[in-house]
Amino acid sequence: MGAGQVMIKKFSDSGGLNIAVMIIGFTAFAYLASVNKVTDFIIFCIYVLGFDLLYGRMGRISFGHMLYLGAGAYGAAMSAKYLTPDPFLAILMGIACGATVGVLLGPIVVRTKGAAFALINVAFNQIGYFLVLVALARYTGGEDGVSLKFSTYGFLNFGNVHFLFVFCLCSLLLVYYVMQRLKRSAFGALLAGIKENEIRVRFLGYNTLVYKWIAFIMSTSISAFAGTLFTLNYGFTNPSFIDPARNVEVIFAALIGGPGTELGPVVGGTAYMVISNYLARYITRWELFLGLALLIIAFRFRKGVMGSIQDLMAKRAQKT
Amino acid sequence: MWEVVAYGLTIGGILYIISIGFSLTFGSMRIVNFAHGLIYAVGAYALVTMLPLVKGNFLLAAVLAVLISLPVSYIIEKFVIRRLYGKSIDYAIIASYAVLLMGVDLIKWIWGANPLPLSDPIGKNLAILSFEIPLYRVVIILLSFLIFAGLSLFFKKTMIGKIVVAGLQDREAVQGLGIDIDKYFAIVFLLGSALAALGGMLYGPISTVHPYMGFRVVTLCFAVVIVGGQGNLRGTALASYVLGMVMALTAWFWGPAADAMIFAVMAVVLIFRPIEF
Repeated sequence: MGAGQVMIKKFSDSGGLNIAVMIIGFTAFAYLASVNKVTDFIIFCIYVLGFDLLYGRMGRISFGHMLYLGAGAYGAAMSAKYLTPDPFLAILMGIACGATVGVLLGPIVVRTKGAAFALINVAFNQIGYFLVLVALARYTGGEDGVSLKFSTYGFLNFGNVHFLFVFCLCSLLLVYYVMQRLKRSAFGALLAGIKENEIRVRFLGYNTLVYKWIAFIMSTSISAFAGTLFTLNYGFTNPSFIDPARNVEVIFAALIGGPGTELGPVVGGTAYMVISNYLARYITRWELFLGLALLIIAFRFRKGVMGSIQDLMAKRAQKT
Repeated sequence: MWEVVAYGLTIGGILYIISIGFSLTFGSMRIVNFAHGLIYAVGAYALVTMLPLVKGNFLLAAVLAVLISLPVSYIIEKFVIRRLYGKSIDYAIIASYAVLLMGVDLIKWIWGANPLPLSDPIGKNLAILSFEIPLYRVVIILLSFLIFAGLSLFFKKTMIGKIVVAGLQDREAVQGLGIDIDKYFAIVFLLGSALAALGGMLYGPISTVHPYMGFRVVTLCFAVVIVGGQGNLRGTALASYVLGMVMALTAWFWGPAADAMIFAVMAVVLIFRPIEF
């Protein structure tokens, strides 16, 4: 292989190709459609990346991940409302909120797997929803939520649509990069092992509970980060950011994109957002369509889009 | 004070009726059947639809509603549950969730997204000791005891029941005796679903009938199964009444926290008795 070819291969192996695709893809999409909407899509993709850390990489599906998104959203909102309207502090507080929830709930949640894992997340999601809607309504604004104004620093203005787009895109690339490094690290290998056969990993001497807990905290933090970005993007937050009924969105996105693959969550997130924003205009019963699609995926199309593409490319590589 | 106990027993009774099917499917097939919540909702909606047709005769409408729910649960069992069982338990949960989603949207399409009113069919109160309790709730409590007794007899005395209990304990041994255990589990699935529909009908008049009622009930069923043990008949009964009491007590002190409290209890149980499956 010539030097040029080696360089190209290195670029695409390290995920550089994917990053380039995301930058070009989203920018083109934003200026063809609406910058504001595509920013929304990007933030959702970050959320799906956080969810996929647990589902695709560790094999545990959570049906209550909105809790962590909401923790971030409300963490940021409360910080902006009661501390200072500084947006960066809000982001940090939101992530801290998500991480705290992960630290506290981790030891309970992470001991379960399969259906129990899925449903215990729902249960905590319901408790969180109740807290936000009723118990702490005095602070959270209850059903109406909180609307916020963030301070600006020259060009770092979260009210500016273009700045928001660039910021969120960079955040997505950052999270993507972190997930890539994770996948190729020893920790990532450990998670993959836990997904395959946890007992064996324990036999090798690892305390799998700690590693699962850490992965859980990472997942909740990334989801919380997405939550803070939603709050910044919309300028308000309300219980719909922690609503248990919306969990189907991220589950569908992760599944259709391809769980565990590199670009899968981004593809899936974009796919879901496109469906819910554009298809909904033409087909009123699009939620029925979503359920049907989910059913078909569960039966026939488990690897999702990226997974199937990977399979195809592997088959082609085998032939040559 | 006694009112709280009575209400707790009512909710507990309904929880039992609804959860027993869920617990059996969970214990026998290791499948978390979200579609169980759909049958529950179908039962309630079918009742609301039947009532005007039978001119307000609640009993007849109830029977018809259960009959309507049977083909729905049969279709779900045949096309979804049976295909998933044994091969892909992980995807079973996604598939049954998808079925529930589709069902909820169909309900919204047919009946609209607004809650439907359903009123207490008896409407009279019974005076016991120092307080009054709606007779309807007494009927529910008695019915739940009856169903518990009936199911206990069914599982102890009839052949089908005994096979199912054995299958819950050791599936392969039963198959080794030459018995097609899947057929029996399918029968149990239908029975459990019919009970879920019944639960939906009974609970409808004292709560709301809305498209998302299925989601709520599935999480409650799951809490019952976690607290009581999956596939454990007596455990499900005990857990149902205990959680019913928890709900009633919480509702007395702080209304909206009732549901959340059940999940808190479930979380505590999971800390001390994590499930391995």
